Amino acid sequence: MSATTTTAAGIPSNARVTFAHELTSEWIKFTAVRSTPWILGATVIVMVGIAAISAWSFSFLLDNPEETGGAAALPTDFDFAGQSAVAGYVMAQIVVAVLGVMVITGEYSTGQIRSTLSAVPARLPVLAAKAIVVSVAAFVTGAIGVALGALVTIPLLSRFDYSIDLSNGTTLLTLLGAPLYLVGAGLFALGVGTMLRSTAGGIAIAVVLFFVVPIIWPNLSPDFFQDTSPYLPSLAGARLMEGESADAVLTPWQGYGVMLGWAALSLLGGAVLLKRRDA
Amino acid sequence: MITAENLTKHYGEKVAVDGVSFTVEPGQVTGFLGPNGAGKSTTMRMILGLDRPTSGRVTVNGKPYVEHRAPLREVGALLEAKAVHTGSSARNHLRALAATHGIGATRVDDVIQMTGLTDVARKRVGGFSLGMGQRLGIAAAMLGDPKTLVLDEPVNGLDPEGVKWVRTMAQYLAREGRTVFISSHLMSEMAITADHLVVIGRGRIITTGSVAEVIAATTTASVRVRSPHAGALATALGALAGASVQGVETGLLQVTGVDAPTIGDLAAAQGLVLHELTPVSASLEEAFMSLTAQSVEYTSEPAGTSTTHAAPTTATAPPGAPPAAPPPPEELDDGDSHKGRHAAASQEGDR
Repeated sequence: MSATTTTAAGIPSNARVTFAHELTSEWIKFTAVRSTPWILGATVIVMVGIAAISAWSFSFLLDNPEETGGAAALPTDFDFAGQSAVAGYVMAQIVVAVLGVMVITGEYSTGQIRSTLSAVPARLPVLAAKAIVVSVAAFVTGAIGVALGALVTIPLLSRFDYSIDLSNGTTLLTLLGAPLYLVGAGLFALGVGTMLRSTAGGIAIAVVLFFVVPIIWPNLSPDFFQDTSPYLPSLAGARLMEGESADAVLTPWQGYGVMLGWAALSLLGGAVLLKRRDA
Repeated sequence: MITAENLTKHYGEKVAVDGVSFTVEPGQVTGFLGPNGAGKSTTMRMILGLDRPTSGRVTVNGKPYVEHRAPLREVGALLEAKAVHTGSSARNHLRALAATHGIGATRVDDVIQMTGLTDVARKRVGGFSLGMGQRLGIAAAMLGDPKTLVLDEPVNGLDPEGVKWVRTMAQYLAREGRTVFISSHLMSEMAITADHLVVIGRGRIITTGSVAEVIAATTTASVRVRSPHAGALATALGALAGASVQGVETGLLQVTGVDAPTIGDLAAAQGLVLHELTPVSASLEEAFMSLTAQSVEYTSEPAGTSTTHAAPTTATAPPGAPPAAPPPPEELDDGDSHKGRHAAASQEGDR
């Protein structure tokens, strides 16, 4: 140990905070934490596993149309392969939401946030950079999950002449919809985590909103609940994967717009509190 | 250069910092001394823009910290041990911090080496000892080669070698013309590390000045006189203006208000034999105790004693005798304070 080394070698003369620098910093932090690859890897495995189970159960359905009676209930142009490939998004959204929450609450629980905000005292670039990191991670993870999911789905359904046709706009939207949906879920969770600063609280709220509310809300009897349920973040976002439908209140892209609107509100709340509160 | 003007912070009803004004000058180590809960950490957090002042303001090198475009080049801060994600390695933590300013891996490896973390740089911070965490915090503070260093209790948890290293480093950086602001509740450490002191208690500045000034302003230096003719000597000294003589035990006097040469001259003139004539300078610890006696948040107070009048008498307690004062408050680290007192006193003699 020596106290004599104070030459500033390695520090660029124009060293200062820029958004690109902050983005690099957030990416380093994101990849440096050991839990990140585990969480993302688990997400892909869950998506592929559910795609396989979904395809297998469709094949059971198609093999035994009389016994199940289920096939008749489905529309004639139902995209068995595409829907199987993205079926895992329901579980994947929970993992991505946990990730979105922990990207910020992990810093609060460990004290890292004080290092982070000392380096970038303007604060808002920190949240913006985290939002980009979460979006990229959610999209790429979702895309890999869907791609591998499609690969396991195709052989299971090929004998029924169902496959994945990327030239079909509806199929493409379905496949693209899952990663986009995960981006919305991750961003919403990041906003919630920033507002609450608590891992447990943030995860609880994200899970309830994305997993529990969409099951209960539409089944409550007053018309209010049925009228508003298409605008819930999860149900609105899921429109991306359901294709055009005459019955639906929102088009797929409108639905996704509503979901991103929720995410934006959540991030806005997080941004206001991050800026105003003591760290 | 750090300038605080009427800096105030309330947390709900509680006033953590109450209208504090001070200046931390470059080129010297400024100690920020106060018992736990006095407002040191809150003040430092406001310097770094982490806490928003309720009123007043604080600037670093002329601007509020948040307005600097390269904050790590202006201020290096160690705010608390392990302000680091436990799942990250030390090197990755520093890489991420450096990246915010476009500072590359060369500098990261430099500060790792400088702080003696090379062997553990790739280990997860979650498994670090308190001392390792402090070293990592100091490494992070050094990343931008900053003009100003703000270190909150930097020697907390360090081994003796580490304590010495922090002290040497702080003094070296100050000699280079940087501003170094170090908080501590250990007066003995501040006495040998700091040039200048800002003493805080209950959110208010109690006193500021050089270490010697703070001690001189708060405690009276005394002279210990041992003589077989103590009685006659006491009478003779009593006749001098301003002198105050206290009999400690048979043959031992404690004299204040007169310096040692005067006492020696008087004894010689009167033919009185002296066996000992020792100037006793008050240590920083004693000054600190007397300054903050009324402002410590939690005192351990033995039944029937009051801490408020205790400190001055400890300054002149004879060696070996139990101090007349009640034990210092727990947070003041009683275990180290006795050792520290001697170290501080001897250091004071050097100044």
